[in-house]
Amino acid sequence: MTRPARQKESRSLRLYTRLLELYPPSFLQRHRAEMLQNFADLEDAAASKAKLWLLIGKDLAMSLMSHFFGSRLGHYVIAVLVTWILIFAIGYFFYGPTPGRPALHAFAGFLPGMLAMYFATRLYGTPQNSISHFFRSRFDIYVIGVFVAWILLFVIGYYIYGPTRGHPALQVFGGFLPGMLAMYIATHVYGMP
Amino acid sequence: MSKSRPQLPLTPAVFHILLALFGKERHGYDIMQQVSGDAVKMGPGTLYGSLDRMIEAGLVAKGNIQDPRRIYYRLTALGQTTLRAETERLSRAALLARRQLGSA
Repeated sequence: MTRPARQKESRSLRLYTRLLELYPPSFLQRHRAEMLQNFADLEDAAASKAKLWLLIGKDLAMSLMSHFFGSRLGHYVIAVLVTWILIFAIGYFFYGPTPGRPALHAFAGFLPGMLAMYFATRLYGTPQNSISHFFRSRFDIYVIGVFVAWILLFVIGYYIYGPTRGHPALQVFGGFLPGMLAMYIATHVYGMP
Repeated sequence: MSKSRPQLPLTPAVFHILLALFGKERHGYDIMQQVSGDAVKMGPGTLYGSLDRMIEAGLVAKGNIQDPRRIYYRLTALGQTTLRAETERLSRAALLARRQLGSA
């Protein structure tokens, strides 16, 4: 990988180098060196780090969304989300707008579930199919870490609010798992953009 | 996008990149500096995403590629035609808007 012509890499540049991994590999193959050099130039010219990261944050969000929703995986995710919204809407109309309907909470859990799995796949690569490989890669460590964090959050919420039947925490937790599963299937079927 | 005829209207990002490249080969950071002088603020991700699409559409081509950190880009003939056509279109729209506002 070609590095920008600088004496020493700043922390910001190291962080940006890491964030670049969120882009599709084919895009990075073409532009990684240029983007790192541009960042280094922007950093040198920036009046403050806050202004620099404001520009970079907005740029990352906009361009990553553009890459993602232009890909087959993006189309799949939109289809899954539309289906999920439809199921939610049907449930909502059947049971009425009662506060704390399970559908609402399950829907809320589904989105972070998909997002968590997407980041895992982008950062650590597409997982191996073989079970013997599972638990060995950084991808799996990340996925297990997210699961454990999610279970901890659920347990803490459960103990604070008591074992209420149909408690939102349980449903959000329930929505998170199909969200992760949906994205896991998507990355296997369509590959990453 | 067709490689023989300008496809209008252009997005603001594409228009400003074409404008920055008019008459001069520039590398990415130089383009960003030129564009930032106008109303559009553009970061590296948006710039290279747009450049990829513009190369595919035949509006822009790579120039000097000796240094992978400083690849230069230039307008193609289609890029120049498209820029002129979009400028004409915007001028007509601005003229119409001025007339409407003037008569209000």
